[in-house]
Amino acid sequence: MDWWALNYGGNMSLLKDLFFYQGNKWWKIPETTELSENPKNEHPFGGFLEKAKNILLILSSGKGHAGPVYYWIIAAILGIITLIEVWWFTVPELRYMLAPAMLIFSIIKFALVVAFFMHLRFDHKMFSTIFITCMVVGILFFSVFLLLSAFHGLGT
Amino acid sequence: MSTNVTIQHGEEINNSTGVSAKKLLMWTFLGSDVMFFGTFIATFMAYRNKSLVGPYPEDTLNIPITSVSTFVLLMSSLGIVLALHYLKEARMGLAKFWLLMVIIMGIGFIGFQIYEFSHFANMGMTPQVNLFGSTFFTLTSLHGAHVSLGILWLIFLLINEYRGNLNSENAIDLEIAGLYWHFVDIVWIVIFALLYLITANDGVPPGGIPWIGGH
Repeated sequence: MDWWALNYGGNMSLLKDLFFYQGNKWWKIPETTELSENPKNEHPFGGFLEKAKNILLILSSGKGHAGPVYYWIIAAILGIITLIEVWWFTVPELRYMLAPAMLIFSIIKFALVVAFFMHLRFDHKMFSTIFITCMVVGILFFSVFLLLSAFHGLGT
Repeated sequence: MSTNVTIQHGEEINNSTGVSAKKLLMWTFLGSDVMFFGTFIATFMAYRNKSLVGPYPEDTLNIPITSVSTFVLLMSSLGIVLALHYLKEARMGLAKFWLLMVIIMGIGFIGFQIYEFSHFANMGMTPQVNLFGSTFFTLTSLHGAHVSLGILWLIFLLINEYRGNLNSENAIDLEIAGLYWHFVDIVWIVIFALLYLITANDGVPPGGIPWIGGH
């Protein structure tokens, strides 16, 4: 039995799954009393993130591994972010926020490529550990070097 | 020490780590390359706005052209994941098509870089003219060298694919090359933001001599 049929019996729409709480009410806050345990997904979005994760699984053909549709979506997001970056650069009124905005956009793009195109999200934790450790060390040296150059100068 | 022998993407895993040795080696190399590029990016940022003679970034950098080349490189990353996906599924026609597209896009990116460098040289901006030129050319040409190496690697893999030596059984070889290619892409993401978009409006710093034109 494939993943879709196993989880949804093949008859639940993606939209319903994304926005329904426990499959029957839109945007419902679960009814609770002080005595009851905290219900799962207790918030107005009814487990939106959890369900969004399921959508990603569906897009990846239920293999828990990205598929072509998934890749096209990530590429479209990367393209759109690049367009926003260039647009931001061309608007003089937004120039005072240029540096932080570009850093945030590039971090998002970086994370998307590493997590999904490089499969780090789906791969062995050892690879993430190696790469992230090197990133942290690199950023640390980067920051120390910039701080030192800011306070002491570089003999220019 | 006991070892488990498993097969992942056609590669026999018989070491104590339980992961592909090729992949582990590539991730370790990429980790070291992060620090390598980090050093050059930090140097560029530390010397930002310290050039006392022109040309300055606002005189030289051409954002529209670099945006196109950035987009081309981003899309080549899509191409390589698609090539790998189809190779794993043994859909060889699509795998070859996307690998060829990645090579073309890579060559296109290098073409943009050659155009940019020659344009800068015509304007009088060379590595030895000022701090901006030195740090800019060092970083972007090192990145260009990485892209060029990646193109050669992918051409080699494409030839192997046509000869039937690269197939779904040993897709790990393309996966490793793909990791390298994506890394080159993410480095460019950072370079595009820091060297181009953030720096492009930098003009004459305090104490600097205004630039009056090229040779």
